[in-house]
Amino acid sequence: MSLLSAVFSATTLAQTVRMAVPYACAGLGGVWCERSGVANIALEGMMLAAGLGGVVAHLATGSAWLGVVAGLIVGACLGAAHALLVVRGRVDAIVSGLAINLIAAGGTRFALRALYESSSNSPPVDGFRNVFLGGAGGVALLARTIVDPLTIATATLALGAVWTLGHTRFGLHVRACGDDADAAASAGVAVERVRLTAVSLGGAICGLGGVALAYDQHQFQSGMSGGRGFIALAAVILAGTRPGRTVAACGAFAALDAVQIVVQDQVRAASALAQMLPYAATLFAMYAIGQRRIHARRDARATTSL
Amino acid sequence: MPAILSLDRLEKRYGAVRAVAGVSLEFDAGRVHAVVGENGAGKSTLLRMAAGIVRPDAGAVRVLGTALPPGNAREAIRRGVGMVQQQFALAASLTALQNAILGAEPVRALGALDVRRARERADAAAQEIGVALDWDARVETMGVGDRQRLEIVRTLMREAKVVILDEPTAVLTPGEADALYATLRRLAEAGRAVVVVTHRLDEVRRYADVASVIRRGVLVSTRTMHGGAEDSIAAITRDIMGAEPPPQLERARRTPGEVRLAVRDLHSGRALRGVRFEVRSGEIVGIAGVDGNGQHELVRVLAGLDAPDAGEVHSVGGGGGIGCAAVVHEDRLAEGLVPSALVRDNLVLGELARFTRFGIVDAAALDREAHVRAARAQLSAASLDLPASALSGGNQQRVVVARVVCGGERAPVLVLAQPTRGVDLIAARAIHGEIVRAAESGKAVLVLSADLAELRVLCDRILVLARGRIAAELPPDAPDARFGEAMLGAPRPVVERSSEVAP
Amino acid sequence: MTAASRSAVLATVAGLAAGWLAAMLLVWLYGESPRAIALQLVTGTWAVPYGVGQVLYKATALLLTGVAVDLALRAGLFNIGAEGQLAVAGLAVAGTAAGLPATTPAWIALPTALATAALAGAAWAVVPMVLRVRYHGHEVISTIMMNRVADALVAFCLARGMALPGTVRTADAIPATHLPRLDAVGLRALHGSSVSAALPLAVGVTACVAVWLRRSRIGREVVLVGMSPRACEAAHIPVGRRLGVALLVSGAIAGLAAAGPVLGNKGYFESGLGAGAGFGGIAVALIGRGHPVGLGLAALLFGTLDQGGLAINGRVPMEVVTVVQGVVIAAVALADARIRAVALRGVTS
Repeated sequence: MSLLSAVFSATTLAQTVRMAVPYACAGLGGVWCERSGVANIALEGMMLAAGLGGVVAHLATGSAWLGVVAGLIVGACLGAAHALLVVRGRVDAIVSGLAINLIAAGGTRFALRALYESSSNSPPVDGFRNVFLGGAGGVALLARTIVDPLTIATATLALGAVWTLGHTRFGLHVRACGDDADAAASAGVAVERVRLTAVSLGGAICGLGGVALAYDQHQFQSGMSGGRGFIALAAVILAGTRPGRTVAACGAFAALDAVQIVVQDQVRAASALAQMLPYAATLFAMYAIGQRRIHARRDARATTSL
Repeated sequence: MPAILSLDRLEKRYGAVRAVAGVSLEFDAGRVHAVVGENGAGKSTLLRMAAGIVRPDAGAVRVLGTALPPGNAREAIRRGVGMVQQQFALAASLTALQNAILGAEPVRALGALDVRRARERADAAAQEIGVALDWDARVETMGVGDRQRLEIVRTLMREAKVVILDEPTAVLTPGEADALYATLRRLAEAGRAVVVVTHRLDEVRRYADVASVIRRGVLVSTRTMHGGAEDSIAAITRDIMGAEPPPQLERARRTPGEVRLAVRDLHSGRALRGVRFEVRSGEIVGIAGVDGNGQHELVRVLAGLDAPDAGEVHSVGGGGGIGCAAVVHEDRLAEGLVPSALVRDNLVLGELARFTRFGIVDAAALDREAHVRAARAQLSAASLDLPASALSGGNQQRVVVARVVCGGERAPVLVLAQPTRGVDLIAARAIHGEIVRAAESGKAVLVLSADLAELRVLCDRILVLARGRIAAELPPDAPDARFGEAMLGAPRPVVERSSEVAP
Repeated sequence: MTAASRSAVLATVAGLAAGWLAAMLLVWLYGESPRAIALQLVTGTWAVPYGVGQVLYKATALLLTGVAVDLALRAGLFNIGAEGQLAVAGLAVAGTAAGLPATTPAWIALPTALATAALAGAAWAVVPMVLRVRYHGHEVISTIMMNRVADALVAFCLARGMALPGTVRTADAIPATHLPRLDAVGLRALHGSSVSAALPLAVGVTACVAVWLRRSRIGREVVLVGMSPRACEAAHIPVGRRLGVALLVSGAIAGLAAAGPVLGNKGYFESGLGAGAGFGGIAVALIGRGHPVGLGLAALLFGTLDQGGLAINGRVPMEVVTVVQGVVIAAVALADARIRAVALRGVTS
């Protein structure tokens, strides 16, 4: 198979969708936090902890769905902890995020050893295996990926985020809190409650990403998030915290990963550099945004008069 | 009939300062009630407590006899208390309509916003005060006048029984202020209580039914105004100051020397559109005008912080750019001082190079200079080792003025923006003394102030800055009306005064 | 003691207590005796000379990264990027130290190697600096991104010829670039431990930074800019340049932190060497509170925890230490905020 046809194949597309799910969940989680005005650099830790939580519940109950629920709960709890520290405790959001990342990184390893006496991975889990769509080949793989419950959930969550932020009371409150918390408070918005809700929700969605990752690998591995939380953060920044664009950026990063896997044998050297791409793109976007802001400020200076 | 809104022994302490010390007040329907006092007297804090924005340490707020939960803006709004704050409480990236409904959104199933109903309500409220707003414009693109109208519309949409406005005319020209008060009068006549926090006595005289004076956190007096009789204004003045007003500064006759500062055709975005003036040695020139007409940008250009788009600033005896003018900036806590640094360091802020040898600061020399300047600002030596934030507003401003006057000894021009804003009377007098002394020593002095009375006392001539241009040059004793006209700048439509959305 | 420093000590003690409680709780949940594990943690570190040496070795890097993060914090910047700066500097210094001619005298080789580490760390701070100073890009985001780029870059370089074939380590540094181990220069008691002359170097750097911030014009202006950039701009202090200097020096010091592991211990760089010290430095800076002695104590504390984790690993997973780090960071920040709120009672309503 030629390189080109390998890149533009159903298999690559399926891989892209499969890898985009964890990114997109983490990214959407980040969007909810950032939009409410609470920075969240702990997406990585939330994914990791929720991934383990999902696998543990799956193994304990035998139900993949209960695993998902557990992952959502773990994510929501970490989100709530972050929000409580930042909103109620007035702790710097970056400091709180760092702490959560450390606790999640150490805690998951600790729990792995405590529960499964292994410092590297959990016993295998089934996740969602589709029994109806069998068959090998790229197209079958693509079909299975698309009807995967977690893929569908992610797509729903993406559309839901766009609609909720844009067209509902809760979304308006979240945006107002992120824009100007004092103004929102004096207009009668319960800022603390809105932020608590939004960040917990964000944590839960991010947790779903962790579960998706673990189910995809059919086990939990220590440190398995492998920087995906930071890539999702990059996507959020690149997208200017807009949900639709965040998912699009996540999809682009996932495509990058998928292409890497497909062409791994042919172009090994490029892969390490390709890993840098999301981060480099974010740095470039920061430059571009800054550039635009400089121009905007010049225009704003022009309009400050009455 | 009970008052719509009554405040019962409200207390608020900030650190060691009692901002509000047990104030009880009642506000009745159908009246425009002015709450007056000096800057920092505690009147804003008092009304912010009334609207639930600030949580009182003690005391109660009652609406029609029933107490509000303390510090709960949401509940206060629900019960009919609306406040238009001095710093507008609008989310800049949201649209006018979104801001108008924020906190009281009409919704359909699933919490979806009902945009049509929202627009109807907003239009109805806007109609009541006779304005039309572009509901889809983002607030960040709206002018200050429209933002204020939006805030008022918002309080009306909540069916406010009490409308509180904090310094609403600070951003308006005299003509716009008239229109605002006409609106407020209509709101009162429709059965609401209107409360206006202000420090401008002429507004009290012309528009208020009742006036309460707050001084140092205490209610001094409440008077019913009878058509603005002069004797009650005089009494209010006494109450505000706590004594007979001290004698006005004697305006000495100064003879201006040669031109020291020449500003030619200055352009900066749309904020400055061809500013041109001159200041001579030994002369104090005032710049009057409503905030936001280019003052901020002009000061930044004169200070050498921003480069103008076009035009030039020329100073004789000091070269151009940095160092031509010693500048006191308007926002003391953000631009004048480093609040958390020691007074000692603030007195020489930005001048470390003078006390440095081989990169190392000569602490002894710095200390000597700090003492000299502290003495000039009439501060005790002990206060040198306090953080600047521990000083009173007046003393902070004296630190800034002492630094700028001493540090800028060689600068031929002295520029002061709002030099006595939020400063107590004694410190204000001392600062005025410094300004006059600087002029007498031969400096060219430029004072920008929103307080026309201050400029009248200090200045030899007053320029009016309106919409980025010098609209007029007037003698200090010109009548108010002429200043008002000039501040309006270019003629504008009188009928519809709400659609000044910036392009 | 002033009220401010008293409350800082109080908050720190409260945070450490919370961390300790969390650790003991985890140990208990794991089914071990908290008391026995605590004892083992202490005896494995401070009770034997080797343990002391290892603690000091770990504290060396933590002190430098702590000073680096702290310096940036003083300027009002949050340098999350020490981790990446350290990694890139480690690779660079190992490459240089291995690449110098074997006959280079120590008085040239060692300074060259150290300068390489500092320059590489500073270079890794250039992009965040430019983004921050010229384009108002938040340094937290940009340094996080630079950390990830560093990871990928180091892996790329090791995979593409910098590592010895079949390994993930670089070639040996020439002997002239070695920082002597302390057990080799008289402190025989520390025999076998990895603590090297990097320790006095780190202490010296800490002292120099403290003096620089207090005494020099630029240092003082850096601190003032950190307190109020707008007021400094209005007073014609070059705010952008001061922020830039702070971030570059911070990166350089974080880069120097690679000297201990590479030049003082291994003699080469390998994948993951010094990892964690960058994030540990953030904890050190948050707990050290801008005071050189505080930074030193905090570095010793986290060094002890790092080494103690290894000592107890047989009975309890060493990762408990990472959890403690996180808990301490959050708890100290929380206690700080509480105390501030009480002290100001009601100022922020």
